[in-house]
Amino acid sequence: MMDAKQIALEKIRKTVTENPIVLYMKGTPQFPQCGFSGRAVQVLKRCGVEHYVAVNVLADAEAYEYLKFYADFPTFPQCYIGGELIGGSDIMLSMAEQGELQKLIEAALRR
Amino acid sequence: MMAVTPDDVKNYIQQGLACERLQVDGDGRHFDAVIVSRAFEGKAMLQRQRLVFQVLGDKMDVIHALSMKTFTPEEWSKQV
Repeated sequence: MMDAKQIALEKIRKTVTENPIVLYMKGTPQFPQCGFSGRAVQVLKRCGVEHYVAVNVLADAEAYEYLKFYADFPTFPQCYIGGELIGGSDIMLSMAEQGELQKLIEAALRR
Repeated sequence: MMAVTPDDVKNYIQQGLACERLQVDGDGRHFDAVIVSRAFEGKAMLQRQRLVFQVLGDKMDVIHALSMKTFTPEEWSKQV
C-alpha cells in the first residue's frame, strides 16, 4: 500500500521520465504567477522549445507538497530534461547562456 | 510570521557554510545571493545550490525564493 507521498513521487517520476521536457512552475506558460517561473518559460522559449509539459504546482497540491523530495530541491520552478533535474531559473539561464541547455534539449528530443 | 531580512538569510547561510564572500539582497520574500565558497569546488551548479538549500533546511519554508550566483574563490577572482 503506497501512501500519499509515494503516490505523488511515482506520478512525478512517470511525468519526468515519459516526457522529454517538463517544467514544474507556478502558473502557466501563458500566465506565470511568479517571476522566476516566468523567467524559466522565457528561457525555454529562447532555446526554441515549442512543446513541453508544464505542470502548474498551484493547481496540483501533490506536486506542490512533494516535488521538493523528488530531486532534493526545495523551490519552484524546476525543469527536467530527459528525466533529470536541471535546476531552477538561475541554472536554466546560466546553462542557456553557455549553450549547454540547448544541447540537453536536442539530445532529449532525439531519444 | 516574522519577515525574513537579507541579513537573516546571510546569517543562516554563514552558520552552515564557510564563505569567502557572501552578499544577500532581498525584499523579505525574494532574495538574491552571491556566494563564494571553497565548498563549491568540483561541484556543478545544481549540487552547489542543493548544498546551500541543505544548509538553509527548514528556513526555506519562510524564504519564498532564493536566486543564487555561486562561485569558488578561483572563479570569483576571474569575475572581477
